[in-house]
Amino acid sequence: MLNQAERERYARQIRLFGEDGQEKLKKSSVFVAGAGGLGSVVSIYMAAAGFGRIRIVDCDSVELSNLNRQVLHGSDDVGRRKARSAEEMLQGINPEIDVDAIVGTIDEDSLDRLLQGCDLIMDAMDNFPTRYLLNRAALQRKIPLFHGAICGFQGQATTIIPGKSACLRCIFPRAPPAATFPALGSTCGVIGSVQVTEAVKYVLGSGELLTDRLMLWDGLNSCMDEVACVRDSSCRDCCNKYNVETNNMWNNVETE
Amino acid sequence: MKIKVMAFASFREILGKELNLDIVGEATAAGVLAILASRNKRFKEAAFEESGWLRDYVQIMINRKRIDPRQDLSTKLNDGDELVIFPPVAGG
Repeated sequence: MLNQAERERYARQIRLFGEDGQEKLKKSSVFVAGAGGLGSVVSIYMAAAGFGRIRIVDCDSVELSNLNRQVLHGSDDVGRRKARSAEEMLQGINPEIDVDAIVGTIDEDSLDRLLQGCDLIMDAMDNFPTRYLLNRAALQRKIPLFHGAICGFQGQATTIIPGKSACLRCIFPRAPPAATFPALGSTCGVIGSVQVTEAVKYVLGSGELLTDRLMLWDGLNSCMDEVACVRDSSCRDCCNKYNVETNNMWNNVETE
Repeated sequence: MKIKVMAFASFREILGKELNLDIVGEATAAGVLAILASRNKRFKEAAFEESGWLRDYVQIMINRKRIDPRQDLSTKLNDGDELVIFPPVAGG
């Protein structure tokens, strides 16, 4: 049940999807991977919208050169852990929700623990190796992954529903090389907003999700485009059932 | 035959948004990429390894369906086909 303050806070959303819808958001637990440019937009809009529990994880401290785009953090936060300033900002925006801000690295060892209790994964990372980890974790747990990435004026987004849609590895089988990317805060704004809209729709069960489609934003030409994606039947991340069974069979044969 | 090429992300900054190629005889995805590389040195450097192989993360779509560049570059194109090419962006 929503309390009176929540009814007032979310009045404009309740006009959109009713108290039932708002309660669905309140019951949702989201994992925001990263408190950088995308993580700022994603977590701020999710906090404001009333997703009930937000776990945001980042291992870095705020640098002056982050502030052009990472709107979770202010000038006074330079040198502080991003998780700390994120926690203050998100809790300040919406004290009705639970914010669980963690200083930590997302890796193979930590991810399972970090994802405990989370229903949705928001990709706000800055590299593909970690994104592939998030992809595999989403597939294992059968929870959705909302992918976003940016570079300068350009961005991309897609929604991954395990078992139903193409996974991140189907769409991007191989990672681009690591680099320091140019970044514009408003590009993070566009892509992060798409990710949050997708998460809202997923929780409400409304609209048409950005599954099996890669949305491409070109801010320089003000063009939004999309390309179709299909599940790759040989994808090593999402179509490995047969391989697993084959391996088990081999193990059995060897044991015998 | 006419082939429309659309570029996204950093390839758009190099090639422009859209190119219309008029190709005499048969056309393949590999052939279109070779034409683009011969016309534009920056594109060649961005899309291809020094060895001449297409960089493995480059996305290619024919009529908005992704193809696997390791296997399908010799796919024949038809008049009016659209080839989309872009590298994934990775920043956050």
